[in-house]
Order: sequence, then structure tokens, then C-alpha cells
Amino acid sequence: MSIDLTFIAQIIVFILMVRVLWKLLYAPLNDAMEARTKKIETGLAAAEAGVEAKARAEAEIAAKLAEAKAKAQEIIAAAEKRSAEIKEDALNKSRNEAEQILDNAREEVHAELERARQSLRAEVASIAMLAAERIVEAELDAKRHAKIIDAIVQEGLGAA
Amino acid sequence: MAEQSHSGGIAEHLQYWSYSFDDSNPFMQIHLDTMLLTLFIATGMIVFALWLRGKLVAGTPTGVQNFMESVIDFINQTVKDNFPVYNPLVAPLAMTIFVFILLCNSLDILPAYLMHHVAGAFGLHTFRQVPTNDLNLPAAMAVSVFLLVLYYEFKLKPGHFVKELLLQPFASLLLDSKNPVVKLIGVLLIPLNLTLKLIEELAKPLSLSFRLFGNMFAGEVIFLLIASLLLSDSFSDIASAGGIVSEGMGLLVGLGWSLFHMFIGLLQAFIFMILSVVYLSIAHQPAEH
Repeated sequence: MSIDLTFIAQIIVFILMVRVLWKLLYAPLNDAMEARTKKIETGLAAAEAGVEAKARAEAEIAAKLAEAKAKAQEIIAAAEKRSAEIKEDALNKSRNEAEQILDNAREEVHAELERARQSLRAEVASIAMLAAERIVEAELDAKRHAKIIDAIVQEGLGAA
Repeated sequence: MAEQSHSGGIAEHLQYWSYSFDDSNPFMQIHLDTMLLTLFIATGMIVFALWLRGKLVAGTPTGVQNFMESVIDFINQTVKDNFPVYNPLVAPLAMTIFVFILLCNSLDILPAYLMHHVAGAFGLHTFRQVPTNDLNLPAAMAVSVFLLVLYYEFKLKPGHFVKELLLQPFASLLLDSKNPVVKLIGVLLIPLNLTLKLIEELAKPLSLSFRLFGNMFAGEVIFLLIASLLLSDSFSDIASAGGIVSEGMGLLVGLGWSLFHMFIGLLQAFIFMILSVVYLSIAHQPAEH
């Protein structure tokens, strides 16, 4: 048990061994481990990003689905409203048209009635004139006694 | 008679195969058995490293690569847990210390006297089979670590280290006191501080090397004792009833001690590594003001 030249030789061997094993054993293994760790970390990060992207996409889909449903509801409501409006319009229009037709018919009836009255009046006047001519014979002037005849006709119609 | 023969064997076994450059100076000799085994293990590690380097795969590791990555990972984790800053030298240094000492210690599980007898076949009278049983190897590694510690102490906090060397443990006398007499005492105590600090610092490599050497040396001596006390070295002794019982007990005790000593070898390699990392870590700690 003594310290001798072996001590110096062992220091040299030890230092050389540290240097050589660092380069040949430690560094390659450590580099391989670090590269693998980095790869795994990248993979995990990508997986995590994928999960996040999936969650985001699912949320987006759900939001879009909800939006589409709301839009569909809106469209249905608008369509229902529009159909009610159209129905109401058609109803109003047909009602107006019916009223218009009625008014027109009434006006036509009224006009026909008026025309018939005029015609009847003229006919009655001529009949009266004819009758008066026959009664009064030649003394009756049609132009001169037209006023009187009209008054008689009116009275006659009023009574009719 | 057998005991006498083995007793002589123990003393003979504890001798180194050495070569002396100068017989009058005991320092000028070299232990050839220690050097041969050390170089054999170092070469083996380098050949293994080159072989493994060619087989490394980037994907899932298997077999030897997996095992070595586990060792590297364990060492990296140990260094990371103990080191305040990143220093690229520390983990390879710790790996070399751990693997090299473990391999050296593992040679102790070879049967006692085996290498001695193998060397005898080549005409050698002495051969020590465990390099860590030679104080030169643990001391060389401990001193290398100690020199690294001193290097980092001076490099990272030179003022603080010199202050610690000269003023600790009585720094308060010189720095805190306003009394000139106490300050003078503080100055006079500087040589004592320096002595105490040097003893404290030198105790680190000494304890580091003697712990490993003592444990492995004691283990080897116990192996030799088991062999000399319980195992017979002549055929007539083995053939007797007492010889059979003695051989059986010797094998059992030897096997038990081998298993325990393997654990001791692993533990000592780990202790040497972790203490080296801790000493270097202390050198890297920021100075307290």
C-alpha cells in the first residue's frame, strides 16, 4: 500500500478515459436520447395540437349547426309569416275584387235602371202626347206644351 | 498444514507485480498488474463504445443500447439533481467514474487466487486481480476530481475561495469586530485558518480514495480468509469428512460474501461518483456574501 508512479500513470489513464469515453460513448448515447426526447416531445405537442384542433373543429361544427338551426327556424318563421301575409293579401284582394264587382254590378244595375227609366219616361211622354193629341186633337202644340207634358209624366212615374 | 500454506498465500497475494525504476526510491516503481488490468478494462470500454456507436438506432432502443441509455439517464438525473448549473464535463466524468470503478470492483467476484494462479502459469509470483485494491487508482481518480474542484473554485469565485482559505473558520474576528485587539487576533489566526482549511480540503480526496480502497481491500482480504480457513488445498483433505463439511461451508460463505461484495462494489462506485459530483457542485455554488 504505497503511492508510486502507478498513481501518475493512473491519473493519465483516467483523464484519457474521460476524454475518450465522453466522445465515443457518452456523447452519441446522449445525443440519441436527446433527439428521441425531442421527437417524442414534438409528437406529443402535435398530438395535443391535434386534440385541440379537433375540439376547436367540433366546437365550430356545433356552433355552425346551432347557427344553421337558428337560421332554418328563422327561414321557417319568415316563410310562415310570408305565407300568412300572402294568404291575407289574397283574401283582401279577393274581398276587394268582390266588393269592386259588386259595386260595378250595382252601378250597372243603377245605370240600367236609369236607362230604363229614361226610356220609359220617353215612351210614356210619347204615349201621353199621343193620347193628348187624340183627346185635344189639332190644338195641341207639342213644343209649346212639352213642359206640361213632362210634369204630367213625372207625376205619372212618381205614382208608378 | 493447509492453513499454513494459505496463510503464506494471503501475504503473497497482497503483493503487487511491480517494476522498480530505482530500488532506493519506493516512489519510482509501477504496479504492472494494476496498470495491465486498468488498461485492459479501459480498452474494453473503448472497444465496447466503438461497437455500440455503430449499432445505435434513433428509434426505440433495445438490448445493450437500452441498458446503456438507462445508465446514462440515471447519471444525467443524478448530476441534474445535484448540480446548480450546466457543465458539460460533469456527466461524462461521473459516467466514467461509475462505470470504470464498477468494472474494476466486479473483478473481485472472480474466485480468490484465480488470477494469482493464472499469473503463476506465466512465471509470475504475484498478481492482484482488483485494480481498486491498489490505493494508487482510487487516489489518482480522487486527486483528479480534487484538482478539478480547485480549478472551478479558482475560476468561478477566486476571491471567495482565497478568503475562505485564509479567514475561515474565524472570519468574524477580523471582519465583524471593531476592537483592534480582536482584529489583531484574527490576523494572527490566519495561519491556523489556512491549516484547518487545507486539512478540510485535503480530507476530501483522502476520504474519497481511502473509502473505496478500504472497502475493496477488506473485501478481498475476507475472500482470502474464507478461502484459507474453509477451503482445502489438497485432495486428501477434501476427501475426509471434515474436509467435505469445510468445503461446503466455504462455498456457501464464499457465495454469500460474493453476493454481498458485488453489492458493496456497486455501492462504492455510486458513492465515489455522487461525492465527486457533490464536490464539483459545491465548487459551482455561487459565493455567499
